[in-house]
Amino acid sequence: MDCEEARDRFSSLWERELTPFEEKVVKEHLSSCPECQREFEQFEKTMRWLHSVGEVEVPDGFLPELYKKMEERERITSAEKSRGGWFNFPLPFKLPVQAAAMVAVVFLVLYLTKMMPMGGYRPKETGQAPAPLSVGKKPEQVLAQKEPERGRGTLKIPAEAPRPKDVEQAKAPLPEEKKFEPTTPQVRAETKRAEAPSPKAEVLAFKQIESKEAAKAAAPSPEPGRIEKELLAKKKPVAATKPHQEIVLKISDREKAISQVQELVKQFGGEMLTTEGNGFLASLPASSFLEFEKELVGVSSTGQTDKGMTRKHATGSLRARQEVKKEAMEGKSRETAKLATDEESRIVVRILLVQE
Amino acid sequence: MKTSPKIRREVIENCKAGDERAFAEIVLHSQKKVFNIAYRMLGNLEEAKDLAQEVFISVFDSIKDLREEIRFDAWLTQITLNHCRNRWKYLKRRQYFNSDSLDDPIETEEGDVPRDIYDPSDNPETLYEKKLIQQLIQRGLQKLKEDQRELLVLRDLQGFSYEEMGELLGLPEGTIKSKLHRARMDLKRVLERAAH
Repeated sequence: MDCEEARDRFSSLWERELTPFEEKVVKEHLSSCPECQREFEQFEKTMRWLHSVGEVEVPDGFLPELYKKMEERERITSAEKSRGGWFNFPLPFKLPVQAAAMVAVVFLVLYLTKMMPMGGYRPKETGQAPAPLSVGKKPEQVLAQKEPERGRGTLKIPAEAPRPKDVEQAKAPLPEEKKFEPTTPQVRAETKRAEAPSPKAEVLAFKQIESKEAAKAAAPSPEPGRIEKELLAKKKPVAATKPHQEIVLKISDREKAISQVQELVKQFGGEMLTTEGNGFLASLPASSFLEFEKELVGVSSTGQTDKGMTRKHATGSLRARQEVKKEAMEGKSRETAKLATDEESRIVVRILLVQE
Repeated sequence: MKTSPKIRREVIENCKAGDERAFAEIVLHSQKKVFNIAYRMLGNLEEAKDLAQEVFISVFDSIKDLREEIRFDAWLTQITLNHCRNRWKYLKRRQYFNSDSLDDPIETEEGDVPRDIYDPSDNPETLYEKKLIQQLIQRGLQKLKEDQRELLVLRDLQGFSYEEMGELLGLPEGTIKSKLHRARMDLKRVLERAAH
């Protein structure tokens, strides 16, 4: 056994945990090695002194002081609890309450969203200004599809009638047509709610745009598509509700002329919108309008017509058509192209019969 | 080393039910043991008293979670050791032990006494020498690593068996024996260095 092995067994030797043989071997080494012998004596003394260390008495007043501390701790805890009431509730209680509150908030939001009136301010729709217009087109298209079934007596208002209800109103004669006008600002208001809070402001804006339109034609706008759509949305009702052209026919036989005019209108695929004494309001397809105009000359007793454009609207509609055509050619937007075809498809003309 | 008789099971059950008298009985029964472990681990009477009180507050708060009443002593010792470890770290961070030297005056129950050079050849027969040796041992313990001090306090000062120590520290008996031997040899070296 070497010194290190012997020293590793000091604890076991001191605690008498070694087997008799091991103890004998270690003791033999200690007797033969003065260095290890001295080391073991020091170790033994350290252990004896370590075990001589008695227990220290607990200071007086240990328990009362402990009670005092506990009371103090209790007071602090209760104060904290009273301060942060909700945070100290147990989780099994808090979780259901929080879940119920969340559900209540969701239902409240849904309820408020549904209860909000259609005409109310909706910030989400500001970025989708043309959407109501395109929605308004759908019933219109449906009407156009149904028209061949109904026959040619029915009124067709391609640029208007955003809702099915309005289609019913559109069947009424000319005086009824004025009822559409209050609805048009409404339609526009829906499309441009965020930018034009009141119809008056919108009309002003429209006039400004119209007056400056020529000047601004060359200047590129930051959002050309959007402005053009807005312009179309504004111009469309005006163009549709008012006649584009006015034709005065000098006639000798009124009855004959009326029947001839009606036949011509039907012949060119048009419709008689209203009849007021010697005045007619007819809607004709734009493609056949020129031929219709030529044929109409034949009805006149003099073979001439006084054709007067209602300048303001006519120019407006022409400009609108130019804009639409331009857009359609550029193919910027399909919606705009649709608008353009609708705009072009019908021309409303007022025919006045003047007795010679 | 003497081991105190185990506390009665009824007392622990009553304490779990919130009986303050039972709690007081537990404190009176175990305070010496808890206080002495704390004192030998920290080397300061005031710190040891404060820590022992904290231990009993923890016992009062968590005794309802104790499932096996029979293991109360081991449970209490475990709480005491955990508190000692935390307090030791806290004091060490605050450099509480930095000025601690074997040449510093020694704090005793009767006040500070001047340090004598330790001489293992001395015979500690007189009361003064006996107290001096106790203080030297305490200072020597402070110089050891925390886990070594734990082993010496539990085995040589508190008289825990190797089995109990293995359970408390979560180590096999063989590991505890070899670690304890190294701790004893280190303490011997610390005391020898102080003598020369």
